[in-house]
Amino acid sequence: MNILIEWFGLDPEQYNEVAMNLAAKDLSPVWIIVLVLAPLALWFFWTSLKRIQSPARKIFLIALRALTFVVLVFMLLKPELEFKKSHTLKNNIAVLLDDTKSMSIKTFPSEIPRIDFVRQTFERNRDVLESLKKNFQVDYYFASNQIEPASLAELKNRYRPKKTNTDIENTFSQLSKRYEGKSLQGVMLFSDGADLTTESETISPEILALLVDWQGPVHTFQAGSNAMFKDLAIEELESADFGFIHQPVRLTVTISASNMGNKNIPLVLKEGDTILLSRIVEVREGQNQYPVEMEFTPGALGKRIYSLTVPHFAGESVATNNSRDFQVKVIRDHIRVLHLNGRPAWDSRFLREVLANHPKVDLLSFFILRTMGDDVASPTSELSLIPFPTNLLFSDYLNSFDLIVFQNFSYEPFIDKKYLRNIHDYVKQGGAFMMVGGELSFQGGGYEGTGIEEILPVQLERTSQPFIGESFHLKRGKNLLRHPILQLEKESSANTKAWQALPELNGINAGLKPRKNAHVLASFDKGNKNYPVLVAGHVGEGRSLVMATDSSWNWNFRRVGEGGSGRYYYKFWNNLIAWLTDDPETRLLKLEADKERYEEGEDVLLRVRVLQEDYNPSVGTEVKLMIKSREGEATSETVKTDDNGEAALQWTPMQEGFYTAKVKVEVNGEKREAEIGFSVFSETAEFQKPKVNETLLKRIAEVSGGTYEVLTEKTDLSAIKFANPKVEVKTHSKSVSLWDNWWTYCLVLTFLFLDWFTRRKSGLS
Amino acid sequence: MRTLFNTIFILGLLVLAIFPPAAHADYSNLSVPQVKYKGGQPNPHPTAVGSLLGQVARRTSIEVNREPLQIKLSDPNLYRYPFLYLAGNEKFESFSQDELHRLRNYLSFGGFLLIDDNSAKANSKFDTSVREMINELFPQVPLQKISRDHSIFRSFYLINRVMGRMQINPYLEGINIKGRTVLIYSTNDFGGAWARDNLGQWTHDIIGGGSRQRQLTIRLGVNIIMYALTLDYKKDMVHLPIILERLRRSHSQ
Repeated sequence: MNILIEWFGLDPEQYNEVAMNLAAKDLSPVWIIVLVLAPLALWFFWTSLKRIQSPARKIFLIALRALTFVVLVFMLLKPELEFKKSHTLKNNIAVLLDDTKSMSIKTFPSEIPRIDFVRQTFERNRDVLESLKKNFQVDYYFASNQIEPASLAELKNRYRPKKTNTDIENTFSQLSKRYEGKSLQGVMLFSDGADLTTESETISPEILALLVDWQGPVHTFQAGSNAMFKDLAIEELESADFGFIHQPVRLTVTISASNMGNKNIPLVLKEGDTILLSRIVEVREGQNQYPVEMEFTPGALGKRIYSLTVPHFAGESVATNNSRDFQVKVIRDHIRVLHLNGRPAWDSRFLREVLANHPKVDLLSFFILRTMGDDVASPTSELSLIPFPTNLLFSDYLNSFDLIVFQNFSYEPFIDKKYLRNIHDYVKQGGAFMMVGGELSFQGGGYEGTGIEEILPVQLERTSQPFIGESFHLKRGKNLLRHPILQLEKESSANTKAWQALPELNGINAGLKPRKNAHVLASFDKGNKNYPVLVAGHVGEGRSLVMATDSSWNWNFRRVGEGGSGRYYYKFWNNLIAWLTDDPETRLLKLEADKERYEEGEDVLLRVRVLQEDYNPSVGTEVKLMIKSREGEATSETVKTDDNGEAALQWTPMQEGFYTAKVKVEVNGEKREAEIGFSVFSETAEFQKPKVNETLLKRIAEVSGGTYEVLTEKTDLSAIKFANPKVEVKTHSKSVSLWDNWWTYCLVLTFLFLDWFTRRKSGLS
Repeated sequence: MRTLFNTIFILGLLVLAIFPPAAHADYSNLSVPQVKYKGGQPNPHPTAVGSLLGQVARRTSIEVNREPLQIKLSDPNLYRYPFLYLAGNEKFESFSQDELHRLRNYLSFGGFLLIDDNSAKANSKFDTSVREMINELFPQVPLQKISRDHSIFRSFYLINRVMGRMQINPYLEGINIKGRTVLIYSTNDFGGAWARDNLGQWTHDIIGGGSRQRQLTIRLGVNIIMYALTLDYKKDMVHLPIILERLRRSHSQ
């Protein structure tokens, strides 16, 4: 072979193999030519040589023509010599080691964690595995829902039950891609088979479909067993991520019980230490799963954290799956507004239209249609009037309202004074209250010295004329031009024009003195006297607002008469509703997290926006951010706001749980606080389906032609055999053409010339 | 000194007469101006509106201005008064395009119009004029009978019959825009049943039904005003059970 290699001018050390290949890709034309031309040529040869008498010459000519034909076919086949260098490869074996959390579950009665069965097997069979390396390329992988390469030497330190999701189908799918084009002669899978994507004691058709075409056997080794497995678990919990306040939230729970005997088990839903709901689950032998439907009604807004628990019994294999924490973001489905009108009038009629047409408002309105002094000249049965449900509104359902509006409403004799105190407490605890002016509002409604006066942003002064029939234009507070209530247009100059275009108002409540921390958004100046008209203030956790006139409907109907529209009237009242109900866009201090749920080890990004009283950005303000877990303070940091009044903090939580981020700022001597909650989850799904899936492991082995074995102290891996066919791999090669050269063509010409010469000598043309 | 005092007193009276003090009631209280139009008789019962408003004030919590007001549709102050009363008993001149445009806008954006045929005749000339005017006013929205479950029949009193000085039609007609009834037309001469003289006596006898009929007409007037000020308030869920129970009882009696 070396002579041949050298004959073609190549280095014998570079090549160790020679092969002949035909370069013609499609040989069918060649064979068509051979089959069609060969009989024709034979017939032609025979007839053309009839006149030659010498048999020797005849044979010589036939031989010449046959040789020419052969050489031509040879050229059509395009033969070439391939000189190549190749070497033999080892076949591959993949060893998959389940490192998910379920491998930490103990097996009874030995109380050995499943993962230790694998570790012990590897210790005992170290020599077998080492010897396997002589004949095979043995690759080790940690397997969960993906594969992670490892080495035999690393196993002692790196093999830990920490991954959060067993997905065998995905594991094999990744393995298949990894060994595409390679010779994988078998797989050894060490696992408990507790696949989260399949039901216990089953195997999914997807895994089966994948294994049917698997190139080598999969030998499965079961770590642990279900013998004496005792566990009570909240296996599944389905709940919406958000719910509506005062609306039921549905929970779908699956409790699983193994070897728990006959028991009545309480399933308890808690928020903090408060029990919200309890349900008895009747656990009976022979039944493993118990679906439970539950409903609870959130009573407060925000991100609420709830716990669902079943008791932990002695001897249970897994303790962590007896409780599940979950979070529900409780929001308003609608803004519930209670609108009380002292008498039917145009101002209340147009405001009712705003509230009734507001897409987010659920309106409950009452008009006082008759007073005690009115003579209706009719029996009650012929009237549509209903009794005023004072107790229901101001005691039972008061907290279900987001906003209470008193419009030109005198509380006596409809509401007992004690209920005004309830409204006071409701606002202090986060509610919203607005008093719209008129003869029956403020002093005219007898609110001096009541709980209502305490929550108003104005004090009620003694005055001989509490309501003045004056026409006036509103003047906006200079320092509060960016207040969200006053934004009829986004752009400042357009907003100013919008305010200037509004018609005058008529009638104003007098004797109102703004409180210290109240914001006088708009007022009316007459001579030296200033009448506050639109005044807003914070009361405890709530908000309160005064509109000291009963003629804002002028901005709607009269504006239409002047050639405009009621657009600004609607915008104004929508702004009021948004501010009163604490719409996030109206907050002076806003704290946000970039996500609501984080995985363990993931960064949390908190953003703060600080605005001044006039809603301009508060630049360079020190912001103190504190993050607390249930156990105590986790971190605290002070940052400064930028030109936009914004600041951010990035922080990595070290452990799972529910956290509270609190921000404190002081702007112009005013202290503000905001708080949000977020959760950090460590996946515990592995403990929700903790049982060993023997069926899955058996079927994998069966379908792929492998063996199944439960790991014990006697497990001997030497019994596992793999096919080991020879695998050669070409590293480099060179091809030399045998037909595309001058001597092939010369040979054909020589044969043709000899044929012509011989025929000529024989007297043929 | 006495002369000076007298002079100041007389000048004061003159000032008050020329510039009456702005009463706050003017801004907050309900006024019902009567529409002035060309041709016909726009005010056959001059005291009708004042009398009805007196009843409204006596029976309900609504505060009213009883001073008679008349207004042209072209008046710049038209939009100070979201409730208009248009009455008559004769044919009247068609409204100009400008007047129709103003009235259409007025009704579409919050105003209310009560039209009352005071002729006490079926198919009167006033009726013809009104229907022509409404056709021009809202050519796409026909005048329709108002159903008995409309808020007008339960806004204050529970009413199941449409009366007037004379019952020409046992129903009211109206026009709805965006769920709100903006115009009501009665052919039964409401004004004739409401009107009183200066001594408080009824100016017209009721044809056919007596004082009960007059009372029902007053109640209907109160209800129409109440509807204009509260819209479909009485259809809120909170009122329904009690109202339906009372209606059921009145039917069973």
